[in-house]
Amino acid sequence: MGSKKAIIVVVDDSPSMKTVFERGTENLEVELRLFQSAEDSWEYLERHQPALLFLNIKMPGRDGLTFLKDLRELPLHKDTRVVMISSKDYAQDRTVASALGALEFITKPTPIRAITEVVLKYLKADPV
Amino acid sequence: MSKAYLRFWGVRGSYSAPFDTHLGVGGNTSCVEIRVDDHIVLCDAGTGIIPFGNEVLKQAADQPKVKDLLIILTHYHWDHICGLPFFVPAFIPNWNITFFGPGHSKRDIEEHVSAQMRAPYFPVGTETWLANVRYLDPPKEQKMDWGPLSFSWRSVHHPGTTYGYRIKVRDKSVLYISDNECLFLDKSIRQKYGEFNAEEQALLTEMQREEYESEIKLIEGADILIHDAQYSLEDYHKKRGWGHSCYIDTVNTAIDAGVKQLYLYHHDPNYDDQVIAGIYEHCQSIIKERNSALECHIAREGMIVDLS
Ligand SMILES: [Zn+2]
Ligand SMILES: [Zn+2]
Repeated sequence: MGSKKAIIVVVDDSPSMKTVFERGTENLEVELRLFQSAEDSWEYLERHQPALLFLNIKMPGRDGLTFLKDLRELPLHKDTRVVMISSKDYAQDRTVASALGALEFITKPTPIRAITEVVLKYLKADPV
Repeated sequence: MSKAYLRFWGVRGSYSAPFDTHLGVGGNTSCVEIRVDDHIVLCDAGTGIIPFGNEVLKQAADQPKVKDLLIILTHYHWDHICGLPFFVPAFIPNWNITFFGPGHSKRDIEEHVSAQMRAPYFPVGTETWLANVRYLDPPKEQKMDWGPLSFSWRSVHHPGTTYGYRIKVRDKSVLYISDNECLFLDKSIRQKYGEFNAEEQALLTEMQREEYESEIKLIEGADILIHDAQYSLEDYHKKRGWGHSCYIDTVNTAIDAGVKQLYLYHHDPNYDDQVIAGIYEHCQSIIKERNSALECHIAREGMIVDLS
């Protein structure tokens, strides 16, 4: 490998969002890892802390808010940087996400540059 | 002979509506009983669970099995749990009451159920419940069996984590989706489409298709769909983003998904019997216009639907 690319994990069941993430990060020094559900991502996240973790909320399987609570119970993810990305633009979702330490709440539909901006913002603050 | 049915004990959303102009539809908040022989599952515990509790107490004398109840909660907004402090079976020894709902553990579920009965909101807490009360840990596979019934769940479009349940009763699928703002993302995309560039617009069209497919997937195969239909079109325009559907979206999505019977549910407490009769008429005209075989009903308190 040799490269010290920061790893960005995305948990979202939407194939079009996968493209938004790929386009939004293609010129950045990062490695994307995409999973379609909380369950699919579990084996990886149980053992790895990404530089930034994007979580959708309404998905088949565990929803993103419940999953974030699961993750926060693992010492590995106590401080993992999490950004919620959801069409569920409700105050209650924002409050719950923020209580679980999510840094941002991005609503869908999402412009490609919003992904670039949020990745840059957090990776610059504390490059991995 | 064995029996299977469901019964609506509460059909209102938001808050109860005990007004004489509303009682044809009913005033209690969300609660549906599903029963196969003596196995009972209650969907939600709004004020409708109070009359259910009083009725089941009478039945317990000669049907002891009814003392074993499962309550599945869509979420913990008040209209879905506010009957529990007055649910008499919970205060009687030798009843077994099991709860399931959103939460990452059984502790989480217990915490959510108990919170509304803490001081200063209620004079006694859940520690005064004398029934054997259990809370179920969410299993990984997102489904469970309860006697002859089985059920699974998915998160839906409503503030906070909210579940829609698919309950298998013999060969029938009953879907209980009390609170769900269907087509929310679709409308967000329509509103913001012009702000995106051509490449993104192509992705948005894709996203609309995906979202619609996921809404169809949620309800397809339903023999009986009990679904949020809280708002008229005028009210939906004012209350978009409150987490409830316009009944027109509900009926159209049910038609597209090939649902057999739709029960419009979680009625707005401001709507009297006449307004709801108008909603019913409009739904029938949509169904006719679209040449659909969908059977559409207004969920009314006391209504029983045969599941055998
Ligand atoms: Zn409700
Ligand atoms: Zn609600």
